[in-house]
Amino acid sequence: MADDPLESFDDFKNSFAYGTRNDLSFKFLKKLDGDEAAEFLRLVLFEVGELFDGAAPERLIDLVYEWQVRAYQPELDEGRPWTYEDRPFAPLERSLGESTLGLVTSSGHFPSGEDPTPFGVQDMSQVEATSRIDDFLRATPELTVIPRDIPETELRVRHPGYDIRSVVRDPGVALPRTLLVEAERSGLIGRLHDEMFSFVGACAQGRIRREAPGWVERWKAAGIDVLLLVPV
Amino acid sequence: MCHVSVGHVAREAESQGLSTVTVAVRSFAHVAREMGYPRTVVTRHPMGRPLGPPGDTGAQRRVVHAALSLLESATEGGVIVELEEPYRPPTD
Repeated sequence: MADDPLESFDDFKNSFAYGTRNDLSFKFLKKLDGDEAAEFLRLVLFEVGELFDGAAPERLIDLVYEWQVRAYQPELDEGRPWTYEDRPFAPLERSLGESTLGLVTSSGHFPSGEDPTPFGVQDMSQVEATSRIDDFLRATPELTVIPRDIPETELRVRHPGYDIRSVVRDPGVALPRTLLVEAERSGLIGRLHDEMFSFVGACAQGRIRREAPGWVERWKAAGIDVLLLVPV
Repeated sequence: MCHVSVGHVAREAESQGLSTVTVAVRSFAHVAREMGYPRTVVTRHPMGRPLGPPGDTGAQRRVVHAALSLLESATEGGVIVELEEPYRPPTD
C-alpha cells in the first residue's frame, strides 16, 4: 500500500501493475525481480539527471524501452500454452493492388454511441476498465465495427491492458485508417474495406479461440481478401 | 495478452484461407515466434504504440508499408521482419 510505512520494495514495484500506483506503461516493473527493478530505477534517475545537463531525451526513452523488452521476455522453463509447431499460411489469392484489406486491431476502439458496454456497464471509464482487468481476462471478446469514414472526433477507446494516452492523441498509433486510405488512393492496395474492426485483446483465450472462426467467416463473406492485424 | 489474442485470430484466418500480416512490438516478438504468426513485422516501439509515435505519420507510414510489402513477399508461414527504426517522438 502506498500509505503503509512498512511497504516493501517488492510491494512498491508491484504496485505499478494494477495496484495503488497503477501505470500501464510501467506495469512491467512487476516482472522484474527486486534487484532488477532497483537497477532500472537507478538508471532512470541517472538519465533524468543527465537531462538536467542537456542530454538527449532519446537516451531515457531507449532505456525504458530496453527494460520493457527485457521484462517481457519469458523464462526458458516457463510453460506457455500458446506455443504451436505448425505455421499456417495462406498465400495471396490476388495481388495486393487488387485486394480488399481489412483492418483489425485489439486496441479497444469503438464509435461514439456504440459502446460495447462491457459487463453491462454504460460509459465505463478507463480507470474502471483497468480496475476490472481480471474480469476482462475471463470475458468473451466483442468485435466492434468502426466505419472507415468515421470522423476522428467520434472515435472512443478503452482498454484495461495498455496506456491509451498515445492512441487518444493519435488513433493512427494503432488504427492506421488514414494511411490505408492513402495506400488505397496510391494503388498500393485495392481497397480498404468499409468496416474496420476492434476488440479488447485482454480477454479469455479459450473464448477468443471459439469466437475467431465466426469472425473470419464474417470477414470473408464481406469480401475481405487480406487482413492487417494490430495488437497493442 | 493482446498479442496472444491476435495470434489466435491470425492463425484462424490463415487456416480459412485469409492472408494476414501482423505488426507486433518487440516486447512480444517471442509470442509471434511461438504462436507461428504467419507474417509479422516487429517494431522497436514501446507497448501500446505499435505503429509509431503519435503524430509521426512518416514513421507510421514506414511500418504500414513494411507490413503491406511483407504480405506480398512472404512465401511461407512464420516469417518475421524486424524493423530497426528506434522510437523517436516528434519534438515540434
